[in-house]
Amino acid sequence: MNPSLKLFLILFISLEITFTSKLWANIIIILVALALLAVHHFSWRQFCWLIAIPFLPAMALFITISFFSPDRDWFYGWVLVSRIYGYVSLGTLFTATTSQLALARSLEQNCHLPSKYAYGVLAAFNLVPRIRQSINTIYMAARMRGVTLHWWSPTLYFKAILAAIQWSDQLAQAMESHGFVEGQVRSFATVITISKKDWLLLGGIILAVQFLVIALP
Amino acid sequence: MKEFSFNHLSFSFTTGEPVLTDLTASFAPRAVHLLTGPSGSGKSTILKLIAGLLPKYGGQITAGNLTVPEGSRSGMLFQDPVMQFALDTPRHELEFTLENCQVPRGQMKGQIATALSFARVTPLADRKITTLSGGQQQRVALAAVVAMKPTILLLDEPFANVDSANRQLILNQLAQLNRKNKTTIIITDHECFGYQELHPQVWQLRDHHLHALTPKEGNELLRHADQQEAAPIRVTMPSKDEQAIVDFTDLTIRQGDSVLLTPTNLHLVKNKTTLLTGANGVGKSTLLKALARLLPYDGQINFQGTDIQKISPGKYFRDVGLIFQHANDQFLNVTVGEELALSRQHGHNPFFTRARLQQALSDLQLNGREDQVVYSLSGGQKKKLQLLLMLMMGQQLLLLDEPFTGLDSQSLATILQLIRESRQVLPLTIVVVSHQLSGIEDFVDYHLVMQNQQLSYQRN
Amino acid sequence: MAKHQLHLRDIILLALIGIVFGVVYFAAGFVYNGLTVLLSPIGYGPMANDITIGIWCMAGPLAGFLFRLPGSAFLGEFLGATVEMFLGDQWGAATLISGFVQGIGTELGFTVTFYKIYNWLTIVMTTVMTTLVTFAWDWFKNGYSHFSGQMIIILLIVRFISVFIFSGILVKLIANLLQRAHVIKG
Repeated sequence: MNPSLKLFLILFISLEITFTSKLWANIIIILVALALLAVHHFSWRQFCWLIAIPFLPAMALFITISFFSPDRDWFYGWVLVSRIYGYVSLGTLFTATTSQLALARSLEQNCHLPSKYAYGVLAAFNLVPRIRQSINTIYMAARMRGVTLHWWSPTLYFKAILAAIQWSDQLAQAMESHGFVEGQVRSFATVITISKKDWLLLGGIILAVQFLVIALP
Repeated sequence: MKEFSFNHLSFSFTTGEPVLTDLTASFAPRAVHLLTGPSGSGKSTILKLIAGLLPKYGGQITAGNLTVPEGSRSGMLFQDPVMQFALDTPRHELEFTLENCQVPRGQMKGQIATALSFARVTPLADRKITTLSGGQQQRVALAAVVAMKPTILLLDEPFANVDSANRQLILNQLAQLNRKNKTTIIITDHECFGYQELHPQVWQLRDHHLHALTPKEGNELLRHADQQEAAPIRVTMPSKDEQAIVDFTDLTIRQGDSVLLTPTNLHLVKNKTTLLTGANGVGKSTLLKALARLLPYDGQINFQGTDIQKISPGKYFRDVGLIFQHANDQFLNVTVGEELALSRQHGHNPFFTRARLQQALSDLQLNGREDQVVYSLSGGQKKKLQLLLMLMMGQQLLLLDEPFTGLDSQSLATILQLIRESRQVLPLTIVVVSHQLSGIEDFVDYHLVMQNQQLSYQRN
Repeated sequence: MAKHQLHLRDIILLALIGIVFGVVYFAAGFVYNGLTVLLSPIGYGPMANDITIGIWCMAGPLAGFLFRLPGSAFLGEFLGATVEMFLGDQWGAATLISGFVQGIGTELGFTVTFYKIYNWLTIVMTTVMTTLVTFAWDWFKNGYSHFSGQMIIILLIVRFISVFIFSGILVKLIANLLQRAHVIKG
């Protein structure tokens, strides 16, 4: 499916389950998302992560709503739990089936997002290992001066942002020397289209979700 | 075709002193130019002005002007290899580059294949760029700029993180580019070895001015540089009965997919100075960082008999300090005064009494700068401050990664004298990685060389 | 330097700041889980969310202070969320929506000071706006409407304090350092 439409669809469904309280609709959405992930060779380990990560916040909400809220609403407790798992499985489905480059290209070509946003963010992603390394370096440099930094120390962020400023400068200059000019027309190595099938799929899924939400408790 | 010419050009960044003053020079098209000069002298400013990146990205031309021939297209290679890619793989980066140049889709595949094979990176085309070595990344960057078919190619200290095999490969391809496509090439480098084949016009940047050397002088300089590279430094081997401070047991270091150091067993002698040299990109900095627990390694490193992974960071870094290659990494505060205060507060080197510190500051010409922002100091001032701050901390072992970059011989002598005096009060073991060997011969006790993924002591 | 829009360099910087915070959040994630475990048995499990929310909202006000342009606070927060979504944050699409909501909240704080004032008043305004807007969002998302009135008020106060400490005081301290280093104009 076209990445931009897929993103829209995921956001649409996530918003819809936020403003509705339908347990069965949520459960069916989760099951469908998990089934699609299974088709995409999602490993058991990844499934376990998917279940483990939201477990605590989901349980916290469930316990509070079911045992401590004025109406002790068990049904609503389960709705919230299923809603959280709904977000997570939809989000994972999106990130697991969409490459960053494909999304950037689709947003640029189909949604006319200015290319400086699409490629500026992509360029920053290449530096993730460098940033991890750099934050580690800041912690250690502080130790060598007899200072222990914590995640709430302003110095940590100050140093990291100074480095980020320098890197953004270097990257922007390098992109420019690879021919990138803000606002200039670009050709496309891969043309990303929105096919009739994409539109039909989008419409069909949205209709199906409405049916689920209206028909089921 | 006209020349690239600077006419009485002065340039300064908004914060500091002028970088270039009254620069006049003409770069002949279709030739190869080599700009030399100490680091921080403004070589990359010249390249970025030609590329049109400056003053767009900061600073201003305060006098004079620069003329660039009409219809010239520039491509640029930067010093930090990884900082020049927007996309994840070489193929995607080349696609991005050709898209920017509005190359029609039908022609892209062929042009990409040609450029990849020119830079000998075809087998790497779909690998993640972040997993490649510095030399491989620089070859990918070369492929990207060559795909743009530039009329002028600018290379800003391109070999700083590149091993010698890749350096040679890139130099060969540049010679070919200049011969076949008549591409103008301007390279900045503070080391001049390996350039004889290119027959470059050599320029020296001194005191904000650019001096063109005559062909004879240029050849002389290049030949001298080639010989100097092989010149050894007079040292002995450490004897068996000397006390070790650090032991390597089967130490192995990897970077991405490549091995930098095969299993090595070796020790570093306590209270002595060990020089560590090796070609660019061979892994000297990586070794120091492994010792400073900044990077993972295999095998074991013992500090005074204890595995360093079993020492708490707080305790370890009381005893071991690293002088970072990039001085900015060392600083934690904003002003020089705050940095000094921090080292005085936490440092425990008894040598630095208040009077001795004042003396050191004035010897290093850092006095009176207490309110200055450390990041606005010149490269040499930063290096001096960095060394002083770490000496004050009083660690037993200091790892120095290119500590003398941008220092004139006077400053170098002063800093070495300071270290000697401090050592008489508080013994100190030093491991130093340095390109610059002149001026430090008497300072070094032992010499470790890193080559072919191995580490060994030198003797002569 | 007169600037009216964000350029390529600024966008890369915003994304990098998003990654920096993302890397740090990841390390701070255990705080959230620990608090949740501690607070759940007494019926205040969701309070973990309110106690830590200020941490997730830091990128926005910082970007606002850094660029001083309309829209920069929103983009800082939203790009940060986009980056987190792809960094393997399991909250996926919800992260993006939260980033959107938090971004709007923070941006409003700068809007009510007309993008002219950059001092503690701005911090108070961004804190108030971020607190209100994100609370309204959680009202629906996390079912806060079902809680007792007393609990709602406590959660609102806790959230305000959290946003004030992390997205307010901490961000201002960082901005002060950047200002003294001449990275932000004074």
